[in-house]
Amino acid sequence: METLNDSPITTEAEHERSPQEAALRIWLKVLITTRWTAIPVVIIASLVATRVFNIAFPTAPVYYICVFIALYNLALLLQARRIEARGAGSLVRTIRFYGSIHIVLDLVTLTVLLHFTGGIENPFIFYFVLHIIGASIALSRKEVYLLASTALFMVSLLVGLEYAGVLPHVNLVGFAPPLLYQQVSHILAVLVVLATALYISTYMATSVAMELRRRQQEVIELRERLLHERTGQLEKASIEIAKLEEEKQRFLHFLGIAAHDLKAPLTAIQGFLWIMLGGYSGELSDKQKNMLERSSRRITELLNLISDLLDIPRIETGQTMQDIKEISLREVVRRSLDDLRNTAKEKGIKLKVEIPQNLPRIQGSSPRLQQVITNLVSNAISYTPEGTVTIRITEKAKELQVEVIDTGIGIPPDELPQVFDDFFRASNVEARGTGLGLSISRRIVEAHGGRIWVESPYPENNRGSKFTCTLPKKNKGKKK
Amino acid sequence: MTKKILLVDDDVDFIESTKTVLESKPYQVIVAYEGDEGLRKAREEKPDLILLDIIMPVKDGFTAAEQLKKDPELSKIPTLMLTSYSARRSETSIPVSRGFSLEVDDYIDKPIRPEELLATVEKYLNK
Repeated sequence: METLNDSPITTEAEHERSPQEAALRIWLKVLITTRWTAIPVVIIASLVATRVFNIAFPTAPVYYICVFIALYNLALLLQARRIEARGAGSLVRTIRFYGSIHIVLDLVTLTVLLHFTGGIENPFIFYFVLHIIGASIALSRKEVYLLASTALFMVSLLVGLEYAGVLPHVNLVGFAPPLLYQQVSHILAVLVVLATALYISTYMATSVAMELRRRQQEVIELRERLLHERTGQLEKASIEIAKLEEEKQRFLHFLGIAAHDLKAPLTAIQGFLWIMLGGYSGELSDKQKNMLERSSRRITELLNLISDLLDIPRIETGQTMQDIKEISLREVVRRSLDDLRNTAKEKGIKLKVEIPQNLPRIQGSSPRLQQVITNLVSNAISYTPEGTVTIRITEKAKELQVEVIDTGIGIPPDELPQVFDDFFRASNVEARGTGLGLSISRRIVEAHGGRIWVESPYPENNRGSKFTCTLPKKNKGKKK
Repeated sequence: MTKKILLVDDDVDFIESTKTVLESKPYQVIVAYEGDEGLRKAREEKPDLILLDIIMPVKDGFTAAEQLKKDPELSKIPTLMLTSYSARRSETSIPVSRGFSLEVDDYIDKPIRPEELLATVEKYLNK
């Protein structure tokens, strides 16, 4: 039952990242990777501009900036790894915070890069849109608008300072007219286009991202609800099992008391009857003796019936299989026969035992299997007027096979299917037993994971019957 | 010298018939009706053999037997448990505290024929 309570799902959830967290981690990685690719792109663009299109501008600052990007990207990479190493926990806010730093750094770097590569003349000015889309994936709409505004502010500041002559302007010679940076209409047009591009892409990208995040949240909630329901169901099931177990124990307890209280008076009566029959209380007439003997026999019948009746629920509730041990079947047979040898001798029946020397031990309940062997052999003795009863054990691939063969009166063919039913008594014999012996034997054998069957008349002898039961060598049993 | 047997059982009728059989030998039979009384009489009388029923009021037979076996003076006295057949067959669900792993000398199935009872008792007295 502990395994039921200890639901594996909760432990799993503790180690597993939330989908939101996982997505944010990937976002950080993508930012870093993109930056690595941005560096060669910047270098190639500069080379192409200067060598292919013969655009003249000082390239040294561009390479310094590339080195700077590489350095801070390395720092951010190490920092992202540190977050990764922290493992589980609610890292959502942390990652978002560091992500914003990434973006701000990129915005500043791009602005500085623009300053050294023509400012307002450089069409790469529209690359700010890419940063904003990158930010939209993970940050809130408000944050992205703020970043877009920051970008716009920095660009305007740069362009404004260059226009006012506070900052020196670098002309892309051969690409843009030297005084383009002083042309207000151009400046305004570029800034308006940039501003609208920034805000529209912010709006579009954050809309899509928000919708995706909302869906993701739904999935998370759904998963949690399912998890919760499953845990609830498991809890309910384990309570049910505990209740059933408790009921079973109560029932067995009841049976135990019933058995004792039913038998105690009979035992006392039997005691007195045997004393009288044994002559401990004075001489008896033959008639008295005969009547007492018959009374005693009836008491024995009743005691056996009570034992058998109470045995059935005990076996069926699995109580038998609680004392499963490694046992020697040879030993079980020996003990059974010890009890029956006298009866066989009195009837003049020969008992033949064929058990191989190196019989493997099996898992089983020794007293219960002894009950089966005793039942089969005593039946065989009872229904055999003369001849031999053979007890043979053979080892098969996966099981041991026990055969009890007699040379007796056999069982009428039409009654064979009912032999193992409760209260079955063959029509060709005088009713003596409780009719429960074989049905109990069947239950015991089945509880051990084996089978039991009968053949009559036994073909080899053409008379009598052969009872066979199998017991698996590796017993899984029905441990209830 | 007459051997002393302590018979512990809560059923007066069972006690009477058993006592009759044992006294015919003759053995001296001391009677107790539950486990605690049985333990007390065992200490006082130092019997040669104890017959102990399992299900009894106050103190059941398994508990009493366990305490007997712990007592250095009493542990050597052969102790035979009286059981009803179903309890002998397998682990029992009777309301007692111990299982069958108990180190008692033997189990006697109730009811027992007079001659069998005498044979068993004699076997353990002569050990």
